[in-house]
Amino acid sequence: MAHTTSRRSSRLRAAGILALTTSVVLAGCSTSGDAPSADGEIEPATITFAASTFGDPGLGPRLQELIDEYNQSQDVVTIEPAAVPFPTFGQTVLTQMGGGEGPDLVRFDMPEFTSAADAGLLEPLDDQIDADSLDLQPGPDEYMSVDDTRYGVIFDTSNYVMYYNTTLIPTPPTDFDEFMATAKATTQGDVFGLAFRQTQAEENGVWQDIFNYVYGFGGEWSDGEELTLNKPENIEGLEAYQSLYDADVIPKGADAATFRKMFAQDKVGMELNNGGYLVATRGTNPELQFSVAPIPFPVRAQGAIMAPLVINANSEHKDAALDFMNWVLEPQQQTSLQEALGASSVATVTERSEEQLAETPFLPVYDELTNSSKPQIVLGFGPQTADIRKIVVTEVISALQGQKSMQEAMDDAQAEAEQLVG
Amino acid sequence: MSADAAITARRRGRRKSPLGSRWTPYLFLLPAAAYIVLFQAIPLVQEAYLSFTRTNLLNPTRSTWIGLDNYVDIFTSSDFQQTLLTTLVYVLVCVIGAVGSGLVVALLLNSDFPGRGVARALVTVPWAAPGIATALIATWMLNAQYGIITQALRAIGIDVGASGILDNPQLALVAILATTIWQLFPFVAVVLLSALQSVPAELVEAAEMDGANRRWVFRVVTWQVIKPTVGLIALLMTIWSLRRFELIWLMTRGGPLGTTRTLVIDLYSQAFDSKQIGAAAAIGMVGILIALIVVVGSRFVQSAAERSTP
Repeated sequence: MAHTTSRRSSRLRAAGILALTTSVVLAGCSTSGDAPSADGEIEPATITFAASTFGDPGLGPRLQELIDEYNQSQDVVTIEPAAVPFPTFGQTVLTQMGGGEGPDLVRFDMPEFTSAADAGLLEPLDDQIDADSLDLQPGPDEYMSVDDTRYGVIFDTSNYVMYYNTTLIPTPPTDFDEFMATAKATTQGDVFGLAFRQTQAEENGVWQDIFNYVYGFGGEWSDGEELTLNKPENIEGLEAYQSLYDADVIPKGADAATFRKMFAQDKVGMELNNGGYLVATRGTNPELQFSVAPIPFPVRAQGAIMAPLVINANSEHKDAALDFMNWVLEPQQQTSLQEALGASSVATVTERSEEQLAETPFLPVYDELTNSSKPQIVLGFGPQTADIRKIVVTEVISALQGQKSMQEAMDDAQAEAEQLVG
Repeated sequence: MSADAAITARRRGRRKSPLGSRWTPYLFLLPAAAYIVLFQAIPLVQEAYLSFTRTNLLNPTRSTWIGLDNYVDIFTSSDFQQTLLTTLVYVLVCVIGAVGSGLVVALLLNSDFPGRGVARALVTVPWAAPGIATALIATWMLNAQYGIITQALRAIGIDVGASGILDNPQLALVAILATTIWQLFPFVAVVLLSALQSVPAELVEAAEMDGANRRWVFRVVTWQVIKPTVGLIALLMTIWSLRRFELIWLMTRGGPLGTTRTLVIDLYSQAFDSKQIGAAAAIGMVGILIALIVVVGSRFVQSAAERSTP
């Protein structure tokens, strides 16, 4: 590994010297910097890398270390991290990119990734990434192509699992009936057996939560070509979600920030959440006794926050951005990145260190789910996911409010969404 | 030199000064005019143009002219009709509620009582609080499990539903209206208080000596003085309520089931969720048209009132 890094570093250094010499000799004949220099070497550049996770108090400093490591490994390309807050990340970065600007490298979430790819805002990577030589995780990597063109590589995948408080629930449920029974048995006084999002104000969160119920009961939002919102399995999953809502085992009306604090204070027994929650929960209450298990639904398929790393098609330094991308895909960096990310997986298959496993013995639970996880988009309708999400969440909430049955709600959602996508 | 000659000489001298040029007023107006053209007129024209196109936020330079299609789409949509109705209800209740409660508070603060200075200072707190903080505090107070308002309502036997007030389609708009009025009434109270202080005391005294009761004094003296101020405040409240965003967005995002979705929420959602900035621009133009109707209508009412005044 060190040999690879050293060789790469020498190449970059040589490129830097060459570029510097060339720029001195040809002073006054400057180019736009759009393309690599004539001999294909990388031009010196400072590029920006935007990710919402740079602003995460737990994760941000660890990712910064990775960036620092890259910047110190050579003296041609300098990466400047740009932390854009998660709630406005997609809107901010996509608006910039739509205006012909934006960061050079972006860590997107899947809905924004598919929208950007569809709009031609991302650099195609088929000829840039030697995917066959990398030991890529096949499950998440399947979603890195749009219309048979690769536009990204996985930066991190955060699978949804069942978090449970081991003080309140010593033995985790293994099927839905046990899940319901455990939630009911744990709900006493100001302690709730379960927590999930159920309000319009958290539309995106409700979508993420119901995703696990739909896919966990064998459903899917589409078959890739047609919408299948009212598929019987979807109704079954959503009725399971509603049965938990009606059973009064959740803190109704509480938003995610509230019930996550409750979980950290032994006030909530179980929660379905992704790997990123591990670091946050430990940060909130290091003394909390909890563990994770696969979501106990009939089918082993759950949502995941898949975050592709992409190159902005507007970037004037695509070669520099690509260099970082290739660097981060090297085995040593993948291991470092996975250690930094905690419970998330990275693009390639990596081994956890013994120290990490000693600190968090249940890490393999997350890892084993990586290839059965699904991105939280409507497959085949990625750019329209936000609109379909709004329709589905509104209809699900109307069913929760008792205005219609779940079957009627999803029939209405199907009709409205079909009209939307044409 | 005679006085006339001296004045003529001064006038000549003034004409020679660059500040005396007939272009001077235009020079002074130029910065304001440039600001209006750059930041209001040009964006308005661009918005009007956008509203006749199909334009995606991610490819704004590749728009397609579609004529009135965006307007046809929104006006034939039942969701948009509900949005318009919600907007009108929201604006009307906000204006009536804020002006009404502000007037009552102003009258109270204008009377003589111990601690009046402290009360006048305290009443401005809701207006001084940032909108985002107000929205977050209100959301917390209305929380279904722990919210103090929810608990109080339940304690006196009012059923707000298990999911709480903000997720109850019948109550969410009421909660948002109450929060908005709570935030707005201090501004109305402070402005009306200053108007009340300009009511001539001798007129009030004269009316009282003529045997008028307090209600009559208010009607024939006080109200006549403060009426123009109330009109202006009502106009401002209407415009502000039409474009209020952060409070509604943070409390409900237009839900549950679209019951709190106003024009600006719909506009934002079209532009940044659906990424259809052409359709969003059409919604924006409808909002501008409503604001124009309100402004022109209020000017018309004001002129008619002035003409009818002897």
